[in-house]
Amino acid sequence: MRTNKTLNRFSLSKELPLLPGYILVTIWVVFTLIMVGWVCLASLSTTKSIFSGNILGDGIHFESYKHAFLDNNLGAYTLNSIIYTSVSITGMLLIAAPASYMLARFKFRGNKFIQGMFVVAMGIPSIMVILPLFSLAAQLGVLNSRITLIIVYIFTGIPFTLFFLHTFFSNLSRSFEESAAIDGCGPIKTFWVIMLPLASPGIITVTIFNFIGIWNEFFMALIFANHSSLRPLAVGVYATMKSFLYAGDWPGMFTGVVVIFIPTLILYILLSKKIIAGVTGGAVKG
Amino acid sequence: MKSSKLMFVVFLGPALLSYLIIYVYPVLRTALMSFFYVQNITDNSSEWKFVKLDNYINLLTDNQLFMQSLKNIGYIYFWGLLGVMFFALLFAVILNSGVRFKEFFRSVLYLPNIVAAVAMGTMWVQYVFNSQYGLLRSIFNFFGLTGLAEFAWTDDTHLLLSMTIAYSFGCIGYFMLIYMAAMDKVPSDYYEAATIEGAGIFNKFFRITLPLIRNVFRTTLVLWSTGCIGFFAWSLMFSNINWNIRTVTPMVYMYNIVFQDAIGMDPSQKNAGAGAAVGMILTILAVAVFTIINFVVKEDDVEY
Repeated sequence: MRTNKTLNRFSLSKELPLLPGYILVTIWVVFTLIMVGWVCLASLSTTKSIFSGNILGDGIHFESYKHAFLDNNLGAYTLNSIIYTSVSITGMLLIAAPASYMLARFKFRGNKFIQGMFVVAMGIPSIMVILPLFSLAAQLGVLNSRITLIIVYIFTGIPFTLFFLHTFFSNLSRSFEESAAIDGCGPIKTFWVIMLPLASPGIITVTIFNFIGIWNEFFMALIFANHSSLRPLAVGVYATMKSFLYAGDWPGMFTGVVVIFIPTLILYILLSKKIIAGVTGGAVKG
Repeated sequence: MKSSKLMFVVFLGPALLSYLIIYVYPVLRTALMSFFYVQNITDNSSEWKFVKLDNYINLLTDNQLFMQSLKNIGYIYFWGLLGVMFFALLFAVILNSGVRFKEFFRSVLYLPNIVAAVAMGTMWVQYVFNSQYGLLRSIFNFFGLTGLAEFAWTDDTHLLLSMTIAYSFGCIGYFMLIYMAAMDKVPSDYYEAATIEGAGIFNKFFRITLPLIRNVFRTTLVLWSTGCIGFFAWSLMFSNINWNIRTVTPMVYMYNIVFQDAIGMDPSQKNAGAGAAVGMILTILAVAVFTIINFVVKEDDVEY
């Protein structure tokens, strides 16, 4: 921040010491962009052109997309991903936002303890919870169903969502609630009508994070929805990867990769400022 | 503000209930299960066979595959952490040094974090490390480094190294953001004073920045440890879709002995109780690491 103002005019004596930094960061950035860009091109290419090193040598081909969506279930996987993601991020908000509000705004015995509980939960690895959840789902006869995976997603997303929103609720002014109370608005209505909209910057950011997290999630989906009609994109593409490799269909494989990352990439391009600001919102102490 | 009982139940009830279902019950049951032989994960608890510490003893004494998985994750943990911290700090310093296009650079560096592990893993294995048309091969050939261009990244012997590089590459942007945020909090007059006194960039970094952001390294270690415990998708992507002893991690091992009869895995090894013990061992290791960190790096309030 401190150098922003001096930046506007180019001066060699100021820029020259920064040169090694520029070079290093530029190499890194170009490498990343080539990696992502090449995969996009490869999905529009043919196996022959990919191996000849002259990508798009045979022109642009959309066959692999057609093939992936029509013959390889990619459309169904995409739809599943959309269902899992949209329902889960909504569910997380519905449960975590009121709880977060309560913990941030009200004094009661055990408040600090409950907050501590949710902090600890963020450090509990999935390997410690997955086995009993799986056998519980099996006993209830709800293995391989969309609802089970969605519930697992919602519940495991609550600690993070709750914590992220906590800061936003704590920073709101008391006067909103006081004037609402004077006007005869009950606390529950006050929350939904007044406080929740006021915290919307936080809600939008945490929802973006939850979206990216669930869209990219792999392990839980592999265990709870490992059936061809239930798979989300990440697991679906993983499951078809073998057949792509076996058939030597490289464009098909890269098409799968592109379809997985395009939605999060577009979201990132549009909202990178908000996302980057949110990354360090909760993680940094001191 | 005071709260009514009804509001407490309505607002906090669902979250607390979810906590019981998804954390308290499973963690306790996993801990319990680690002392039993459980052939199938779906077995009723009446079919469990109490074996005392046998699961732990078997895992830690004569189980080559599990020991290899611990070694692998130890390798990723140590070398990956060194690399990530080095580059993340370096990039944080560079981007905070007043370069142009700071926001653009920052966005691209963080970019790998928003891409699914399955997608990133495929990009690395099938493109960057590819021995025929790979990106690294092209780069080294371009600079005439044919020796390096021929390096077999996806050979069995180099697979773990390649996987560590690919995984760490993506994490660098994330940790860089954390370091940058911590560095932003250091008052700029410290640097101005140091500049007046004639301190160079290295002196400023080692004498001002590093000591003042030291608390953030604890965050780094916690986040890195959590990531390593859950190391799963990358391992699958780097082992030609099946498991491979070179890249097997504890999570992959657990997955194989609990959820599937993998090729090459002795079916008699199927034991959900041992899977639970794997989880317990990882958790104990993580807690031990945190305790040591807390002991070595005392949390003190850095006051500006």
